[in-house]
Amino acid sequence: MVQFMNTVFNGVSLSSIILLTSLGLAITFGLMRVINMAHGEFLMIGAYMTYVVQNIFAKFLPESVFSLYYFVAILAAFAVTFLLGALMERFIISKLYGREIDSLLATWGISLILQQAARSIFGMQGVNVTAPSFLNGGLEIGGCTFSYNRLFILVMVVACMLLVWYIMYKSNFGKQMRAVMQNRSMAQCMGINSKKVDMITFSFGSGLAGIAGCSVALLGSIDSTIGQSYIVNSFIAVVLGGVGKLIGTVFGSSIIGFASIGIENYTSASIAKAAVLFIVIVVLQFRPQGLFTIKSRKLDE
Amino acid sequence: MIWKKQGYNICFAVIVLILALMPLFLSVGMISSSSFVLFIGKCMAYAIVAIGLDLIWGYTGILSLGHGLYFALGGYAMAMFLKLQATNGQITSFMQTGGMTELPLVWKPFLSTPLAMVLTIAVPAVLAGVIGYFIFRNRIKGVYFSIISQALTWAAYSLFTGLQSYTGGNVGITEITSIVGSIKGDANRAHMFTLFYASLAILVLIYMLSYYLTHKKFGKLLIAIRDGENRTYFSGYCVSRYKNFIYVLSAIFAAIAGAIFVNFNGSITPTQMTISYSITMVIWVAVGGRGTLVGAVIGAFLINLCDYSFSSGTMVEIWQYILGAIFVVTILFFKGGLVGIVRDQLPELTRKLKHKREAN
Repeated sequence: MVQFMNTVFNGVSLSSIILLTSLGLAITFGLMRVINMAHGEFLMIGAYMTYVVQNIFAKFLPESVFSLYYFVAILAAFAVTFLLGALMERFIISKLYGREIDSLLATWGISLILQQAARSIFGMQGVNVTAPSFLNGGLEIGGCTFSYNRLFILVMVVACMLLVWYIMYKSNFGKQMRAVMQNRSMAQCMGINSKKVDMITFSFGSGLAGIAGCSVALLGSIDSTIGQSYIVNSFIAVVLGGVGKLIGTVFGSSIIGFASIGIENYTSASIAKAAVLFIVIVVLQFRPQGLFTIKSRKLDE
Repeated sequence: MIWKKQGYNICFAVIVLILALMPLFLSVGMISSSSFVLFIGKCMAYAIVAIGLDLIWGYTGILSLGHGLYFALGGYAMAMFLKLQATNGQITSFMQTGGMTELPLVWKPFLSTPLAMVLTIAVPAVLAGVIGYFIFRNRIKGVYFSIISQALTWAAYSLFTGLQSYTGGNVGITEITSIVGSIKGDANRAHMFTLFYASLAILVLIYMLSYYLTHKKFGKLLIAIRDGENRTYFSGYCVSRYKNFIYVLSAIFAAIAGAIFVNFNGSITPTQMTISYSITMVIWVAVGGRGTLVGAVIGAFLINLCDYSFSSGTMVEIWQYILGAIFVVTILFFKGGLVGIVRDQLPELTRKLKHKREAN
């Protein structure tokens, strides 16, 4: 029973991490159809921002407020990646709408530059953040320990989900956003500034990557390749779930998370990765557009 | 006139000529060390992958972010064969560390020379065929294909690093002598040049085959698929079969390139299987000029030559920035790469200047 509980918790935890890193992608890739290969590097920037904010707190502020650094870090990470996303949209992505594959390659160039920048600034060695004190330890229920770290990430995922859901489906801006993505010229006729919507949408997706970076920073050491290690899973999760639907991303991440943990219990981590990919390819055989799709009669999607 | 018609081939012929004169350069002293010749040998392998990538990306519009997988599979097959030659069929040290007492079944076919050569090509070809069949049949295309190919490479990478006792794990298969004997040092220059010219011959053959394919109706079909897949379907062609064929062919090219690479490099590591390595290959094609075979070759040589000269000393860090910037600028402004600049942008510029002069 304890074993089973642990497996389930690990599955939920891994799924939540994948979901958090995929949320931003679900917006930039799912809605805007822009493959941002530098998304992983935005995540890395978020993680490094956490490290920087922590160091600032440790140096200049009294120890009693040290634990609060994490909340400042979340805001800082969001702000920085939001700005970077806006710049990137303005100068690169906006030139490449309608050329999906080219935008993929151009953003890869950006990701090379960002990775090298991280190495130049922070060095080749990984750095670590000290988790805020209220996240030490874990919750014990019936012999299994649920670490606060992972529970906190779970809470953050739910919060981010709610935020994205509210912005996308309840706010005025979300309405404009969906209108632009579904029928650009009609939306423009209605007086929506589509360029502005594009830019804010992309920046918001990038900002979510920054928040994801903050939570990933709690899990292990941060180096310039941290983004790459999370990004592949996230891309698959979005493709599996079907682009354009938030619920699809939730299911996609959960399937990949639980399948990885479940298979890993019986074999090794590397075989689990291969097996998960096999599952994804099999699923795509039956639903080539992903699990949840927006029905459309367009021929070329 | 001939320049317009045969320009690409003339360019390629010039490159081949320069390569063929390498031994002369070495004996005259224009090239200081034989290690540079080995590096050029590796570049020829890169050029072969680039041609394969150009066939599927430049001509057919399928962007594979996982060609490192086929490159490495060909490399590993060749390395397994060469390693067994070196150990006389005995088990290797990493297998001993992994607790094995006899050769694993997977390695056994590589004891025989012809079987090993066949497998070097057959394993990647079959893998690409099976994957291509399932993916193209369902019309998974564009960026979705790119993401899946990327994930595939990633899974294979973790598999190869995980199965330490079979593949040597992170270290890979090292300390290999090439297929014609040792090529290191001045004493073995004859060996080195045998290998060098053999590889050059393969490069020329592959270029000729690709040129032949792309300048027939088949090549026009590939371009048709790139520019309007559904229209090609409606014209009565089974697009998925064409796509699968060209995908397998480019996987075979990658495998051959991997096998050549191992001979020159003396080792193969899972690094060659990573996603970033695979995307680097795409950079070569993009910078050289997609959709022209010679562009792929030029890109592969040029980027790697820069990489070679900047990979030591103070330039290392800056080179990464430059590489990223080159890539972004190429995609944004020079879609045709270097070849495109010479072919389209320069004539355009001279025409504009001429206009201006006449107007004045």
